Amino acid sequence: MNMVYLRTEVLRVFRNKRVLIFSLVMPAMMLLLIGGTSVNDADGRAYVMVSMGLFGAMNAAIGSGGQIAVERGLGWNRTLRLTTLTPRAYVLGKVVLALLIAIPPLVVTFAVGAFGLHVSLDPGVWALVFLGSWLSSLPFAMLGLVIGYLARPDSIQQVSGLLYIGLAALGGLWVPVEAMPHAMRTVASFTPTYWAGQVARSPLFHGHLDPKSVLVLAAWTLALGIVALRRFRVDTARV
Amino acid sequence: MTNENSDPVRLTGLIKRYGEVTAVDGLHLGIRRGEVVALLGPNGAGKSTTIDMLLGLVRPDAGTALLYGMPPARAVAEGRVGALLQSGGLLPDLTAAETVRLAAALAKRPRPVTEVIDRAGVGAFAGRRVGQLSGGQQQRVRFAVALVADPDLLVLDEPTTGLDVESRRAFWAAMRAETAQGRTVLFATHYLDEADAYADRIVLMRAGQVVADGSAGQIKAVVSGRVIRATLPGADVAALAALPGVDSVETRGDTVLLHASDSDSALRALLAQTAAYDVEVAARGLEDAFITLTSAQSTGSTS
Repeated sequence: MNMVYLRTEVLRVFRNKRVLIFSLVMPAMMLLLIGGTSVNDADGRAYVMVSMGLFGAMNAAIGSGGQIAVERGLGWNRTLRLTTLTPRAYVLGKVVLALLIAIPPLVVTFAVGAFGLHVSLDPGVWALVFLGSWLSSLPFAMLGLVIGYLARPDSIQQVSGLLYIGLAALGGLWVPVEAMPHAMRTVASFTPTYWAGQVARSPLFHGHLDPKSVLVLAAWTLALGIVALRRFRVDTARV
Repeated sequence: MTNENSDPVRLTGLIKRYGEVTAVDGLHLGIRRGEVVALLGPNGAGKSTTIDMLLGLVRPDAGTALLYGMPPARAVAEGRVGALLQSGGLLPDLTAAETVRLAAALAKRPRPVTEVIDRAGVGAFAGRRVGQLSGGQQQRVRFAVALVADPDLLVLDEPTTGLDVESRRAFWAAMRAETAQGRTVLFATHYLDEADAYADRIVLMRAGQVVADGSAGQIKAVVSGRVIRATLPGADVAALAALPGVDSVETRGDTVLLHASDSDSALRALLAQTAAYDVEVAARGLEDAFITLTSAQSTGSTS
């Protein structure tokens, strides 16, 4: 991995106001709004905190792969193909970038939870919640690659915006799954966000990561990863 | 691994179709070390498609492209090739300097970034975001990106399109300094004066094929002679064509154009045997060569 390339990629993310709003500002604001007004117990606030952290991390991770569509539209991929950076390194770079930029949303929302909403957890639980949330961004990194290759440059913003909202709302990041009607709960269980939530929140209740949810999420990662790989192969063969 | 005796560019029987349109139609082209070659042709002649195949950005339907005896992708990976592509290809959210630095970081054996920024004339706006730069300034950034890899072969696709006269002059001044170091250069252009002024060799393209290939002097010699223009209402074209020294005749309303290999004899006969007046004699420029060659090609292919 070329470090100058990776550093430049991170730099570009922090210059992108859209990314900052969707992955940092919005989750933190929603956490303060929901956690600070309508949720009274400490457990509930921790629950909302993790959901919002995940929301931000997911948006950041999807956005990383989504940039592929933008860069194709700009012809940047042609410029890169005239350098020593291979297509494989390019796509792996987007995955590494997704994992890197999923960290700040978690740090910010967890800090807002800890210092703003007085969420207090054991250090071990903090660590597990962080780890679970962070790894849960991996299937969304893959989803980002898929839409990065499938979406047109001029529609990528709408596509990713719809995904942020749809996946968060249906998967129970905004309204807890437990509070949903039965039918909605069934729908939720078909989204990767639901399982990401289960993974990330399980340490709050059990003190460890729920193995079944980890497995389901791993399957989502694998499935989306395979789709992304196929699109990648089609794309590099055509050009 | 690399064959040091291989030519920088060897294109053999390249064909590329887009649906019904054949963009490049059996193109052969070899470029030797140190040559500065202009790929000259009108829009739609297949210049950009040829360059894309040469660089490995587009896969040919048939034929092969070899750079230094290697497939293009490998020649690129070895740092032998740098290119300035037409429009786009830059990230608007990076500054000019960041773009060049990134290109240097992704090059096999990069030149010093400050030197390249200076050479390409990027210094004055190096700290500004690419998205805020003018078209001419962006073109200089592209040039710097192409140069920073220190390539042996430099490929430029219409490098001065959209530049004002002053920027064009500055660009070619920088290019001259680069080619003085023995670099091999291929540039596509539809400006005849640029091909004439900056290339050792001109490859004329039309409808996806090479229609002429030689020095600017040779290209002109192919269609040497002069054009006699005169006003002659009701001209007898067959009689004019039969005049001594006349190769071909065109009429445009009352104006006749005689393409003549021996304009002196043609002129004597024209004035002696016809009522022609307002006579002008002009040398054929590269532009005429271009028109003659390409239209000859089109009549050849339709008949």
